[in-house]
Amino acid sequence: MSVWPRLFLALSLSLIPWVRANADLVVVVNARSGVERLTTDEVINIFMGRYRQLPSGIKALPIDQPETLPEKARFYRLLVNKELPEINAYWARLIFSGKTIPPQQARNTAEVMDWLTKKRGAIGYIERSQVDSRVKIVLELEP
Amino acid sequence: MKIPAMRTRWRHSILLRSALILAGSLILVSIITISATIVVTGDREQRAATERLNHLLDTVESTVSIACFVKDAKLADEVAQGLLKNNEVRSVTIKADETELTRKALVTATQDQYSGKLRLTRDVHSPFTPNKIIGHILVEANSEAIEHDINREVQFVILQIFGQLAMVTLTMLAVMIMFIVRPIKAMSDGLHRMDPTSGGRLAMPKGHDETEIGSLVNDINNLAGNLVSAIDQERTLRQQKELEEKKYHSIFENAETGIFIVAQEGTLTSWNPAFARLMGIPLNDNYQGTLNMRQLPWENTSRIAELALNCHLDNAVLSDDLTIRLRNGYRRWLNVVLTPIWEGLLQGVVHDVTEHKEAENTAKRLAITDMLTGVANRLGLEEKLHELQHDPLIAQTGGFTLMLADLDNFRRINEGFGLPIGDSLLKDITARLNHGIKGSDTLARLSGDRFALVLQSVVGGENIDRIARRILESIHKPFLIEGSPIQIHASLGITTYPEDGSDTPQLLRNAELALDRAKAAGGNNYIFFDQTLAEAVEQRRRLENDLRQATQNQEFLVYYQPIVDLTENRLAGAEALIRWQHPAHGLVPPDAFIAMAEEIGLIDEIGLWVLDVACGQLALWQREGLDRYLSINVSGRQIPNGLPPDALADAVHRHGIDPSRLALEITEGILLADISKALNWLNAVRSQGFRIYLDDFGTGYSSLSYLKRFPVDTLKVDKSFVRDMHDDSSDRALIEAVITMARSLDMKVVAEGVETVGQLNLLRSMKCQLAQGYYFSRPVPAGQFEAVAAQINALLGDPASIPA
Repeated sequence: MSVWPRLFLALSLSLIPWVRANADLVVVVNARSGVERLTTDEVINIFMGRYRQLPSGIKALPIDQPETLPEKARFYRLLVNKELPEINAYWARLIFSGKTIPPQQARNTAEVMDWLTKKRGAIGYIERSQVDSRVKIVLELEP
Repeated sequence: MKIPAMRTRWRHSILLRSALILAGSLILVSIITISATIVVTGDREQRAATERLNHLLDTVESTVSIACFVKDAKLADEVAQGLLKNNEVRSVTIKADETELTRKALVTATQDQYSGKLRLTRDVHSPFTPNKIIGHILVEANSEAIEHDINREVQFVILQIFGQLAMVTLTMLAVMIMFIVRPIKAMSDGLHRMDPTSGGRLAMPKGHDETEIGSLVNDINNLAGNLVSAIDQERTLRQQKELEEKKYHSIFENAETGIFIVAQEGTLTSWNPAFARLMGIPLNDNYQGTLNMRQLPWENTSRIAELALNCHLDNAVLSDDLTIRLRNGYRRWLNVVLTPIWEGLLQGVVHDVTEHKEAENTAKRLAITDMLTGVANRLGLEEKLHELQHDPLIAQTGGFTLMLADLDNFRRINEGFGLPIGDSLLKDITARLNHGIKGSDTLARLSGDRFALVLQSVVGGENIDRIARRILESIHKPFLIEGSPIQIHASLGITTYPEDGSDTPQLLRNAELALDRAKAAGGNNYIFFDQTLAEAVEQRRRLENDLRQATQNQEFLVYYQPIVDLTENRLAGAEALIRWQHPAHGLVPPDAFIAMAEEIGLIDEIGLWVLDVACGQLALWQREGLDRYLSINVSGRQIPNGLPPDALADAVHRHGIDPSRLALEITEGILLADISKALNWLNAVRSQGFRIYLDDFGTGYSSLSYLKRFPVDTLKVDKSFVRDMHDDSSDRALIEAVITMARSLDMKVVAEGVETVGQLNLLRSMKCQLAQGYYFSRPVPAGQFEAVAAQINALLGDPASIPA
C-alpha cells in the first residue's frame, strides 16, 4: 500500500470528533451523591468493574445506555478507546469468576435518567443536552 | 656393501603415527566442537525456551491484564493453570500491584535441582491505559525439559561428529596407504635391493610419474647416479694417489740423498734410510720421534741449530756445508738444505759432499802449488804476502823480506840438455833453497827459473846479506848432470816490507827491479832495492812515452855516413842511420832508443819509415845520375814479418829505383834466432835483388861456417878490429883473414870505424874493398851530404891519401 491512501485514512479518522462535536457526552451522577468531579481513571475503574465505590464512600452503580443506542459505543470509545465487542469480550472473561459484574444496562435513555435520579450511587453517561438539575456532571468526555 | 633389509616397526610406521596424530587431533576437534555445541545448543535452547515462554505469556497477556485490573484471583488462577499445562513451565506467579493473585507450580521430585534456572517476569499493563503497570506475571521455566532437549541434541551432534571423524580418518588412512606409504615402502624395498654401482635404479611406482613421489624417485636415482660417478672418480683419484704415494715412498726409501723432517724443537719426526746411513743411526724404528738433531754427530752442533733457526726466521730455503764426525773417526762433509714446509716443520735434504770438498781443497791447494817442485806458485806467494801484510804479528816484529832469485843463463841449460834435465835441475835447486831457509819462511817458484823467498821477521840488513850470500853459495855448488858437474849462478833482488812497498804488486815489482839490476850487473850477486832503481825505471818509462810520441810527431831524422870504394877511389854510397831529434834532450843516437823501440814494438814502424826515406834519397841520386848505393839497418825483430820482402819490393817500386842499390844490414843475432825463418827471408829478399850486409862481423858467436849457409853479399868488420889493428897484430891478421876469406866466397868487406889515414892505408894494403868512418865523414843530414861527398872526392883525389 502506498503512502497516500494511509495518510488519507488517518486524516478522515481525525475529522470524526469534529463532526460529532455537537453531540457531547458527559458523565453524570446523582446530584446527591456528594461527588463533584471524577477523573477519567476513576470513571474507568467504576465502569470497568475495578472499584464500585464513589469517592464520597457511596457504593457506585454504573449504568450503561441501551446497546442499541450509539451513546454506549461512543462512551466506551471516548473513555477507553474500545469498541463494544471488545468491552463485551472483557466482561465475558470476568463473568464467571463472580468477582465483579458489568454496569446495569438500561432499556432506554429514560430509564438511565430514571435510575440516575432515584439511586444515590448511580453514575451514567448522557448527552449534554439531556442534563438537568437531577444529575451532576462530574466528567466531560472530550472527543 | 649390502645394507640388510630393515623392517619398519609397526609402532614407528608413518601410518600409525599419522593415524594417532589424526585421531588425536580429530578427538580434540570433537571435544571442542561438542563443547561448543553444548554451549551453543544450551544457549539456543535457553533462548528458544525463553521465546516460547514469551509466546506463551503473549497468549495470556490480555487475560492476565484483565485479571490484574480487577484483581480477579480466580481468573488469574485459571490463567496459571493454563500455563502450567505446558510442560516447559514449572511455576507461575501473578501479582496485581503488590497483591499476589495466584502462585501455581508443578510438584516434582527434582524441584531443587531445576529451580531458578530460567525465570521470566513480565509487567502487566492496564487494559485501558497501556502505560500504566498494574501488576506482574512471573513464569519459571521447567529446566529439566530444556536440558533434556539439550542432551538429546548434543548426543545427536556427538554421534554425527564421531561418524564423520571416523569416515575422515579412515579415508585419510586409506589415502595415505595408497599414495604415500605403499610407494615409500616400495621405494624402501627397492633401495634395499638396489645396487647402484652395477647400474641398479629405483622403479617408478605406478601412477606416480608426475607426483612428488615420482620426482623423489627421480631425485634418488639422480643422486645414486651422481654418487656412483663421484665414487668412481674418488676411487680413481685414490688409486692414483696410492700409486704416487708408493712412488714417492719408494723414492724416499731408496734415495741416496738423506731426507728428514725436523720439528722446531729439533725433534726428528721422520727420515729415510739414506739419512740414517749418513748419520750412523741404527736402522730400526725405535728412535722414531725421540731422536733430536743435537744427538746427531755434528762436529759443531751450534751451526746446524743456527741454520735451522735462520730457516725458521727467514722462512726461506737455506743451505750450508757442515761436518760430522762418525764413530769410526771419519770426518764427513755434508751439504744440508733446509726448507720450511709448514708451521714449525723443516724438511732437510742431506748430501755427502766429502769427495767434492776434498777435491775442492785439493784443487785449492793445487792452485797455489807449483806442480814441478811442490813449493808454492805465484798465486801461493801472493796469498802468503797478503796474509803476512795483514798479520798483526808482522806489524810488531817490523816486517818481512822478499827475495826474488833468478838463475843466470838457465835457458842455455834447457837448450843444451833438454827440458827434463832442466826440470830435474830446478827440483834440485828448489831443494837447496828450501834447505837454506827456516820452516816459517816461504819458498815459491814463480816461473821458469825464477824463485821467490819470503823471510819472516828478517829485516836487518846484516842478516839478509848473510842469508843472500848463503843462498848464492848453495846454488853455486856444482850440480851433477849426466855425470858431469855443472855450475849455475843466480841473481837476487831483495825488498823489505813495508819499507820498499806497502802492497804485493809494488813489493814484487821492486824486487824485480832489484833482480834486473843484479842480472844487468853480471849475475851471481844480490841487489837491495833502493829508490834510484825505481827512478831509473820511471825515467825509462818516460822515454818510452816520448818514443811513442816521436813516431807520431815525426821527430826522427835519417843521417847518412859515406862509404868509400877503396879500389876505385870514389864515393860508393852511404849507410842510412836514424837519429831522434828529442824536443828536450836534443839529438839521440840509435843505440839509446832502438833497443827500446824493439821492446815496445815500435821498431817495425820506424824501420818502414827509414826504408821509405832511404828509397827517396836513392831515387833523388838516381835522377841526378849519381852511382851510389844505400844501406839500412835491419833489426832481428823486423825479420821476417816487420819488414816483409813484399814491403821492400813495394818501396823500391814506388820510388822507381833498382833494388840492387839498397843494401840491408843484418847482425849475426838474427842467425841465433829461428834460423829457418831468417833463411827464408834472406833468400826472398836476395832473389828480389837486394844486397845483404852482415854487420858487426866478428863480435858475436857466429862461426864462419854460417857464412856458407847464409846468402850474404858483404861483410862489415866491426870498428873494434879496425881501431886496434895498428897496435894489435892479431886484429890485423884477423881482418886480413876475413878479407881473404870474403874474397874467396865472392863477398866484399866494409871496414868500419876508419879514423886515420894510417888505418886507411893499411886497409888498402890488405885489398879491403870498402871503408867508412870519421876519417871520411861523420854521419850527416841529407842536406850536407853533397858537400861531404865533394870533400871526400877531393880527399880521394889528394895524392897524399893514396898510397904510393
